[in-house]
Amino acid sequence: MATHRSRALWSRVMRSCRLPGFRSSWPRGPLGARHVSQEKQATETHFGFETVSEEEKGGKGDIAFRFLNYVHEQHKGKQKRQLRAQQNLSWEEIAKKYQSEEDPLGGSRVVVCDINKEMLKIGKQKARAQGHKAGKSYGLAWVLGDAEELPFDDDKFDVYTIAFGIRNVTHIDQALQEAHRVLKPGGRFLCLEFSQVNNPLISRLYDLYSFQVIPVLGEVIAGDWKSYQYLVESIRQFPSQEEFKEMIEDAGFEKVTYESLTSGIVAIHSGFKL
Amino acid sequence: MGTLLRSALRPLRRLGGLRGQAAVDVPLRGVRHGAAGLLYPGHIPTSPLQKALLAAGSAGMALYNPYRHDMVAVLGETTGLRALKVLRDQMRKDPEGAEILQKRPRISLSTLDLDKLRSLPEGSLGQEYLCFLDVNRVSPDTRAPTRFVDDEELAYVIQRYREIHDMLHTLLGMPTNILGEIVVKWFEAVQTGLPMCILGALFGPIRLSAQSLQVLVSELIPWAIQNGRRAPCVLNLYYERRWEQPLRALREELGITDPPTVHVRGLA
Repeated sequence: MATHRSRALWSRVMRSCRLPGFRSSWPRGPLGARHVSQEKQATETHFGFETVSEEEKGGKGDIAFRFLNYVHEQHKGKQKRQLRAQQNLSWEEIAKKYQSEEDPLGGSRVVVCDINKEMLKIGKQKARAQGHKAGKSYGLAWVLGDAEELPFDDDKFDVYTIAFGIRNVTHIDQALQEAHRVLKPGGRFLCLEFSQVNNPLISRLYDLYSFQVIPVLGEVIAGDWKSYQYLVESIRQFPSQEEFKEMIEDAGFEKVTYESLTSGIVAIHSGFKL
Repeated sequence: MGTLLRSALRPLRRLGGLRGQAAVDVPLRGVRHGAAGLLYPGHIPTSPLQKALLAAGSAGMALYNPYRHDMVAVLGETTGLRALKVLRDQMRKDPEGAEILQKRPRISLSTLDLDKLRSLPEGSLGQEYLCFLDVNRVSPDTRAPTRFVDDEELAYVIQRYREIHDMLHTLLGMPTNILGEIVVKWFEAVQTGLPMCILGALFGPIRLSAQSLQVLVSELIPWAIQNGRRAPCVLNLYYERRWEQPLRALREELGITDPPTVHVRGLA
């Protein structure tokens, strides 16, 4: 029942302009996403996976696109190195290698999952605009699903990321358990989310901006005060870095760490299923 | 700066008690009035800083996108406190106005008896009002409810002002095109002194053509100001009791002369 209300609220928010939501997390939004993507490079070198398939939560797929671009670049680099290593190839064989309809991602796949259809629609539009295409051959899939009850089998994914999404889940512990379930052993859980500010001066300024400015922006730009009031209140209700770390550990993850960005306005939590 | 911060952070203390509450309950909180400082249904309490930001933002947005009527409403609510108090005191002194303040009549499609109004004789206020609604294809239900006024009686006053806007169009014989709206705004500015009306009256003509502007300044605005000054406060009229009154007689009672006939290319 609560998820229905959640769905309706987010449909309402999605109908209005997307900009105010972005402003509430600026500049942490894109920086945070970039940071999480860079973390993924560490995953590659740490585990040496040849192919990494990943699940991405958050319908607009910003992290998914960065990941795909990165994998694509890596794969191209790998192809080049392979060709250089192979000697005495005729030019016909080299041309054939480049032209073959081989998977440009080398087997990596990304699944983007969200509870809200509008979010997924916008994500697909973004993908098309950037030149990515959905479907098995290009490694990007869009799935409608609930984080508390994922429509995937156990032990399916190498990486699970969720950015500014887990705050809106009604039962966070269930979402964490589901994340644990769908990850393969050795898989990594990464979560980017608003957190508690540790610096008192920044905390006051941040509170001032959140409560005084954001609902006003929501009203002026989108004609919706209530949704943006809810947004800033839900941010305050989210557990602190340490509390969330404990919740992740309770779900069965190990080696849980976190990194605070911008004095703790957002934090990246990481855990492994071992 | 310290007092500003303190007053701005006051809403935070209220929210301090919310920790641990399920986030999903939050959107419904505003519906319960009487709790958490809500004075009437739909009330959103705002700090002085928020009101200032809202006023600036809504003014800018209303100019940028004239179809954002909700922004005009927000501008009126956030800037009109002093004018509303003056209006309310004026209404209290007038017998008909005091009755309106007490009975709190609302004009909407649900409260209007459309069949009765249609059966009234031609030339009566009720008939002319319905005719105006039909010709201009407007409805009295499009007025936004008050949200940012922090006094329950003043919230009604501004709501009443919004709901009789169409009545003023009928009284002044002005259509709902841009020129007509500006003329009514000038009349309202003189009558109510609301900053939103004054700003609308001054900035509304910005997007007009030279010809319209000339007609406006030379004939329509002087006529609006003259009538606005001469007429008693239009908020004091219990329109719901005057449906049968002939419009002409009402105009005479208020001292409103016939509108000047102007022909502007491109306007109805």
